[in-house]
Amino acid sequence: MSEAPPLLKALAIGKQFPGVRALHDVNLTLFQGEVLSLVGENGAGKSTMMKILAGIHLPDEGAIELDGDFVEISNVREAQKYGIALIHQELNLSDNLDIAANIFLGNEPHKSGIIDRNRIHKESAQFLKRVGLEFSTDTLVADLTIGHQQLVEISKALSVDARIIIMDEPTSSLSQKESEKLFEVIQDLKSQGISIIYISHRLGEVINLSDRVVVLRDGENAGELVGDEITHDAMVKLMVGRDLSQFYNRKVTKLGEEILEVKGLRTPPYPNNEISFSVRSGEILGIAGLVGAGRTELLQTIFGVTPAVGGMMKLKGKKLMPKNSLDAIDSGVVLAPEDRKRHGLVLEMNVRENTSLARLRRDQKVGMIDFKIEAELADKTIKDLKIKTPHSDQIVQYLSGGNQQKVVLGKWLSMSPSLLLLDEPTRGIDIGSKQEIYKLMEDLAASGVAVIFVSSEMEEVLGMADRVLVMHEGSITGELSREKLNEEAIMQLATGNKAAA
Amino acid sequence: MNKNTIGILSLFILIFGFTWYSNENFVNGYNMTNLVKWSSLYAIMGIGVAFVIITGGIDLSIGSVIGLVASILALAIKYEWNPTLTVVLLLGLSIVIGLMHGLLITKVKLQPFVVTLCGLLFYRGISRWLTDNQTMQYPDTEGLDSFFSGKVSLADSSFALASPFFFLVLIAIMAAFFLNRTIWGRYLLALGNNEDGARYSGIQTDRLKITAYVICSFLAGVSGLLFAYELDSVQPAQTGEFYELYAIAAAVLGGCSLRGGQGAIFGVIIAAAVIRLLRNSINLVGISTHLEFSIIGLVILGGVTADELIKRIVAKRRSSKN
Amino acid sequence: MIKKLTFIVTALAVVFITGCGSNSNNSTDGGDNKTKHKIAYVTNGIDPFWDLCAAGVRQAESELGGVECEIHFPTKGLADQKSIMESLMAKGIAGIAVSPVDADGQTKFLNEIASQTKLITHDADAPKSDRLVYIGTDNYKAGRALGQLVKGAIPDGGEVAIFVGRLEQLNARQRRQGVIDELLDRPSQTLGQIKFDEVAKVFKGEKYTIVDTRTDNFVMDAAKSNAEDAITKYENLACMVGLFAYNPPRCLQAIKEAGKLGKIKVCGFDEDDGLLQAIKDGHAYGTISQQPWNYGYQSVKVLKSILDGDNSLIPPNKFIDLGYKSVTAKNIDSFWSEKKKMAALGAKKD
Repeated sequence: MSEAPPLLKALAIGKQFPGVRALHDVNLTLFQGEVLSLVGENGAGKSTMMKILAGIHLPDEGAIELDGDFVEISNVREAQKYGIALIHQELNLSDNLDIAANIFLGNEPHKSGIIDRNRIHKESAQFLKRVGLEFSTDTLVADLTIGHQQLVEISKALSVDARIIIMDEPTSSLSQKESEKLFEVIQDLKSQGISIIYISHRLGEVINLSDRVVVLRDGENAGELVGDEITHDAMVKLMVGRDLSQFYNRKVTKLGEEILEVKGLRTPPYPNNEISFSVRSGEILGIAGLVGAGRTELLQTIFGVTPAVGGMMKLKGKKLMPKNSLDAIDSGVVLAPEDRKRHGLVLEMNVRENTSLARLRRDQKVGMIDFKIEAELADKTIKDLKIKTPHSDQIVQYLSGGNQQKVVLGKWLSMSPSLLLLDEPTRGIDIGSKQEIYKLMEDLAASGVAVIFVSSEMEEVLGMADRVLVMHEGSITGELSREKLNEEAIMQLATGNKAAA
Repeated sequence: MNKNTIGILSLFILIFGFTWYSNENFVNGYNMTNLVKWSSLYAIMGIGVAFVIITGGIDLSIGSVIGLVASILALAIKYEWNPTLTVVLLLGLSIVIGLMHGLLITKVKLQPFVVTLCGLLFYRGISRWLTDNQTMQYPDTEGLDSFFSGKVSLADSSFALASPFFFLVLIAIMAAFFLNRTIWGRYLLALGNNEDGARYSGIQTDRLKITAYVICSFLAGVSGLLFAYELDSVQPAQTGEFYELYAIAAAVLGGCSLRGGQGAIFGVIIAAAVIRLLRNSINLVGISTHLEFSIIGLVILGGVTADELIKRIVAKRRSSKN
Repeated sequence: MIKKLTFIVTALAVVFITGCGSNSNNSTDGGDNKTKHKIAYVTNGIDPFWDLCAAGVRQAESELGGVECEIHFPTKGLADQKSIMESLMAKGIAGIAVSPVDADGQTKFLNEIASQTKLITHDADAPKSDRLVYIGTDNYKAGRALGQLVKGAIPDGGEVAIFVGRLEQLNARQRRQGVIDELLDRPSQTLGQIKFDEVAKVFKGEKYTIVDTRTDNFVMDAAKSNAEDAITKYENLACMVGLFAYNPPRCLQAIKEAGKLGKIKVCGFDEDDGLLQAIKDGHAYGTISQQPWNYGYQSVKVLKSILDGDNSLIPPNKFIDLGYKSVTAKNIDSFWSEKKKMAALGAKKD
């Protein structure tokens, strides 16, 4: 295969964002008609790399070669011209338009401004056929499932004669069946000579689909695997830079009293589903499931930001029904939210102000801020959590993802919680900080705190949890103890297949 | 003092110097007395709206609240109500107005622009209706007159400090203290930067927002009393018209981002002074009054643009340091 | 004293559809008046000035008899005035006296009204329309009269500054030109052909110098600070002239605070109580009043006579000049008591 000239070559790509080195000296080669998977942990630089190829970001360093010529892809239009299409994790379709209109959006064939409707419907139908989607072209996109919408996106890529289709986590919100359908389409496209760059966390999919795998770690090439070399262990080893067994070393601690008891809890997005479980002091409880399974909403309900519709909760035997986050915080429940920048931090404030934001109320003197206590708290947090910041007056916006997360955790640890809720605690965080956060979770559990964490990273769930609840469409579909934990079992439950558990 | 305040202060000094150069009468006691007085009046409104702007909101009703307070005051004097009681009642009324705004914005979840725009129309209409739209005078009610529009001469100079200045000093100290020293001030800034983030940290954002609108309307009420006594007459249809725009301009020029989360009381005061200084300067240099709005508009635009550019440069430097 | 002026209103493309309305509509109305003429008085907005006009309407209604008047104050400008007039037409009103918000823009609409009812204009004219007559004041003449007052206030001459809301308004420009022409002893100009002097210019005459004209856009604090700034800038200022009702009181305040009461004279326009008090106290010299109640009174009177079939009140140039009254310390008491009487009458709402 390497005999044929490559279709696309990215040479020594570098990209810098404020406060973060996203990519450094990354090389990548793509041949015609192959599926190249790009894997790596969150924050490893996969998305940035894809956005550079798709013309959304310009690289600071390096060059891109297409068909042997240097090209500069400075915007999305140009990427399209070169035949490169990116299908985002969050689809970019207009719900209120029909399939045909979406496929040709921005490229409508027209006669002096009047859209040639016949043509777009006729041609759309052909594209739908190529991706095996059996819908009339005048179906509203809003009426399609996510899986079908994705196929419309692919049709859209075909409509601009894409030779390279980049798919960013395409199965993250698909059911098992929908995913399988997608894999068929990918094989078809491949046989039509189209090259696919496939980004996924689901290593099983990667193994089945890929001709070649490029692994990124901390914004750099970590290695490349071809054909038979592509195994679960090999990928994970390259991703984390060492053997898994070294990375996660959760020592099961002795569990104490029951901290949280949830009975028949109903959350606003799924008012008809009842959730019951409990967690004990010293326990780390993982919650797994697909995106949209209701995991985040469950944590938000326990934390009071989206109050429960029904059911009941008890914290250390006392009734807990928070109407807002203040109620929860006062009872000893804290949440490090999934969307750190939107919910976890006040980005334009500094480390000190963010660290003290929750604690301020306790340390006030008749409404006045005690600046001395505040500064001491900030310094202590920076030291204890090893936050890399020049000083406590640094605006948190300019910190790396890992350090930002530590600020969030520092804010909550100052409140000495009895229940710590973590939503995707290591998303977008470098390996070093990640390990520190895992260590922190263990230490907290050892000190008697109950920890519940939601994670979409299989490795993390497998490595950190004492026990795992798997959610699907707002319900808990199963519970796996540490001995029974494995990726297949979680995926089965996560896609709604209870029988497997 | 933050960078923004230094910028606006330099602007002030620049215009001050230019006007002085153009007309030496500019610095005489009488003119300085007037400049300080008007700047103080504008700054009080500006501080009020700054609180709302910090939360990411807006208050367009300030001018109409001023008109309403001034109109009712005139009526009260006409019907010989107890003056002190009237003043207390009017301040209470402004607080109620702010409370209503806050409740509509946080609980009914209406947009601040819409709520206060309706306020602008509503209070203006009420003023006109209550007074039959008659221009009304304030006959001398000695005690309150000197309280709200008295002057304290300094030594034997012709320079005097007018009541609004003392009000401003008191209000500014309290506002700066609230914003920078109390937990609620900190919460206000946090909520302005990131309302969700503040809520997730256990801050009761609704209450704070309501407080901001109450402060704004209350200070509009105070300004209403001061303006009434300063002008000694009220035209229900016009008194206070467009003042909200000057107040907002002062707040923005003084360093409050309309996106919320930023505010410096001292900056707002200087910015209010810049706006008044421009007016004074236009008159004394002898530029056509028709150009007044254009000049003020241009200076504000220039100031805000410069501020944005400086911010970007600072951000760039910071990020490259890391 | 006031020089005798001749005035001829040039017919600016006026097309009169003579007769057609006035002849045919008379059959039912005239004669014995068991049935009263229903007429309407429409202002261009809300203002204390209009309340005084309304007082005149009420006075005429009761004194003249045979008419029933509705008074309307459009609150929201052009569109509001238009819809009020439309509903009046729908009610079958016999006559309307209106102060058009936008004379030129409304011509077509006014003609439509004029074709169905008796239409006259007051306060502001719409010369291009088919209105039967315009009742108003020659503001240029009134301005010259104000100039006379200034001459009386500072007979030895000196620096004069003019304060006004907006010069975009024709009446403001006419008044200002009248004052300037009078102080510079220029010959009289004819209404409709007046050449207006530019704003940013100093006019130096033999005795009088007009140093400045400042506008405030109806913003009260601007009106006051304009006066303050003029006191700062012109150390030898002798007289301040306020062209709109609220200007003279603001000038007086600024003068008072500068400690120059009496040193700087004030002459004004209209009949703000603050100014009248100052004239009484000797702090201001005088004012020119258009006696707004005359607007209302005359409008009713003219409409009634037209509806009674008598067109003799309409002069050939279609302009009834109601003149003005110079008020100084000499006649302040009688004038003020008349104003108070009218204000009380006008404040009574329908």
